[in-house]
Amino acid sequence: MSDAMQSSAPVLAVDDLSIALPKGGDRPFAVENVSFEIKPNEVVCLVGESGSGKSMIAHAVLQLLPRGVDIVSGTVTVAGQDPSKLGGRGLRNLRGGNAAMIFQEPLSSLNPLKRVGKQVEEMILAHQRPAPSMVEIHERVQTLLTQVGLPNPELLEKSYPFELSGGQRQRVMIAMAMANRPALLIADEPTTALDVTTQRQILRLIDDLRRERGMGVLLITHDFGVVADVADRVVVLRHGKVVEQGTASEVLRNPQAAYTRELIDAVPKARLADIHATIVRPEPLLEVVGLEKTFRVKRGWLQPPREVLAADGISLTLHEGETLAVVGESGSGKSTLGRMIMRLTEPDAGAIRFGGADLRQLRGEALRQARRQLQIVFQDPFASLDPRQKVGDAIARGPMAYGTSRAEAMAQARQLLVRVGLSETAAGRYPHEFSGGQRQRICIARALALKPRVLIADEAVSALDVSVQAQVLALLAELRQEMRLAMIFITHDLRIAAEIADRVIVLQRGQIVEEGTTAEVFTAPRQAYTRDLLDAIPGRDFFDQPGFAADARHIAGIESGIDAV
Amino acid sequence: METVRAFLRHPSGMIGLVLLLVVVVVAIIAPIVFPVSPWEMVGAPFTPPGEDGLWLGGDTLGRDVAAGVAYGARVSLLIGIASALAAMAIGVVIGAISGYFGGKVDLVLMRMTELFQTIPAFVLAILLVATFNPSLLTIILTIGAVSWPPLARLTRAEFLRLRHREFVEAALCQGERTWRIVLGHILPNAISPILVVTSLTVATAILLESALSFMGLGDPNLMSWGFMIGAGRTVIRNAWWMSVFPGLAILLTVLAINLFGEGLSDVLNPRVARRRS
Repeated sequence: MSDAMQSSAPVLAVDDLSIALPKGGDRPFAVENVSFEIKPNEVVCLVGESGSGKSMIAHAVLQLLPRGVDIVSGTVTVAGQDPSKLGGRGLRNLRGGNAAMIFQEPLSSLNPLKRVGKQVEEMILAHQRPAPSMVEIHERVQTLLTQVGLPNPELLEKSYPFELSGGQRQRVMIAMAMANRPALLIADEPTTALDVTTQRQILRLIDDLRRERGMGVLLITHDFGVVADVADRVVVLRHGKVVEQGTASEVLRNPQAAYTRELIDAVPKARLADIHATIVRPEPLLEVVGLEKTFRVKRGWLQPPREVLAADGISLTLHEGETLAVVGESGSGKSTLGRMIMRLTEPDAGAIRFGGADLRQLRGEALRQARRQLQIVFQDPFASLDPRQKVGDAIARGPMAYGTSRAEAMAQARQLLVRVGLSETAAGRYPHEFSGGQRQRICIARALALKPRVLIADEAVSALDVSVQAQVLALLAELRQEMRLAMIFITHDLRIAAEIADRVIVLQRGQIVEEGTTAEVFTAPRQAYTRDLLDAIPGRDFFDQPGFAADARHIAGIESGIDAV
Repeated sequence: METVRAFLRHPSGMIGLVLLLVVVVVAIIAPIVFPVSPWEMVGAPFTPPGEDGLWLGGDTLGRDVAAGVAYGARVSLLIGIASALAAMAIGVVIGAISGYFGGKVDLVLMRMTELFQTIPAFVLAILLVATFNPSLLTIILTIGAVSWPPLARLTRAEFLRLRHREFVEAALCQGERTWRIVLGHILPNAISPILVVTSLTVATAILLESALSFMGLGDPNLMSWGFMIGAGRTVIRNAWWMSVFPGLAILLTVLAINLFGEGLSDVLNPRVARRRS
């Protein structure tokens, strides 16, 4: 790669690329007339919302386009070669050799039945000619695993993917991608499935590796926070067309296109919420006392089961009209907490007091009646709607289950759909006709149809594009005022917590490590763990995070993160 | 609607459907084409095919083989479909309870299912039919009773898959009652593979019925393909037509149902359907 480092010939050149979609799609081209270049030692971010065609470009580079989707014009040149002109052998040498790719979901991109060391080894064996000796390969695997920052590579190479955490799996993927010293690394949303702290580590790792080796990196993301952290240059895509491209600082500081500005503005800036609940009644609406839960995972006949502590004496209170954010990394037990309050997961010990009763003691009909007051919005809007149920029915079912007549419940459902920003006609359609953001609105309408007093939002906006996130958050903020909802907002994204919550609880390994008002936690965190989480917020340096300004009053004066720079 | 259109484009599925329709039509028009009962002796014994107006020949007692094959289609289809539905009813109920409630209920029901699976189906069927008098109803129930385990296992697996899906949990949080969650949310999402396996069960049920009749354990009042083969087997070297034509009928019907079932499976499986279109 030393040649590539010295020459400034681009490692990837995309010239006037157009990719056609099969007939009958929502647009004729996935990507139209896209041109850009990546030079050695350069990180180019491809930014856009889902459906903008950004992944299509990445797949086109390695000739991985799905059947029926073809390049109709333009050329792609990877390290001097045109992949579309390569035959089977040439393409195999290119993939994983000169150009390597890492994917969004690290679990599904590793073979679950093979030890990870073997999988890295395979990458070397497939490309190195003549094949190095086994001893040499083993050493290379060890070095690679060490380089990507995995602890104890000796032990780790013998592990199976399911034994690793999401971040560790992504590191293994990166080790595989690095195995043959590629000139180009393509990373397709490599951190979207990871929590903030892991995201930061992975981005830093990619950044370090490219400096060390002088590779070009094509990083695909929908988050301008990520762009601000790592990109040298940015290409903004919308509906398959390039809206704007330039150096990262140019685009971020002085966006030319209105769409780019929209995307940048949509990045949650961790501005502290200016709405604050006025607590009318002193007694809490919901009180959780000493909740405990340990998951036991069986490992084999002779090994003892692995124990995962999801809740270790969690106690919290929630007042009417108040929003409580529960933040933590994945595996900290925050989702389990929400599920235990909903009685979807049975706690081992503790009490959940609500409306004068302990929810844990309720069974059957009494539990059904109590559930009416507590509702939940799940993370994945695609999994949480029954694909065979019309949207109107999905919303009306709840009130109907408690005795409201069908006609009345449907009328209510239509009103609610309008309230969450959809049209009345949505009631007669099926979930697959809606986008992710629209589906999440439907889920919110469904939860609110029962007029609950407590709403639990379990990562309710994490699966959405940043721009859609902002809209859904605004809707939730409005609704909570309107309906005097008490809300538990579970999230790994502190920027979001800052914008919506009155109080924040920080969870780590099933324990509350910090608790306080949002301003307290964000401006004067007491725990190192909280500070780590805050530091990990993507784009923090660039956006200057007004939320962290010591003077809280200063915040109101700042219109957006851009102006603050 | 889209499913129907996709099926119409499925080549082997359509061949199966056409063949199956032919069998159904034969079963329906049997009394019109052959007004005389298939048990009636209408010609000389051992009449070869084509002679004496008997297209497919006569059997050892001079009964019309063609009439037997046509009337046999009614019996085979009726028993095949009715016993597959019986198997589906038993299997889906047991599988659904097992998959939804889990725990001890699941343990007991699945051990019971395994018990049924370890006994050879045909031996159990012979035992049951021989114990109760062979009649249309007992044969249907017997075949149903030996064919449900695969359906129960499939339903259980589908329920386990769907039980903790978020939309099911959302329905639970909405306060919907258990039976509504099961019938309204889980079953409709699990029904496609269940239908496919049920349609294939029809084919095995027809084979089971034929085998039972061959052993002389069929309903003595019904002319069935298996009975005809059983009756003709001793003379197969001098009068092949007595066993070959009913045998061909079984072969074609079972083939038709299998092709239809596979076509259905492809069309109902979104991943395969997408690849085809």
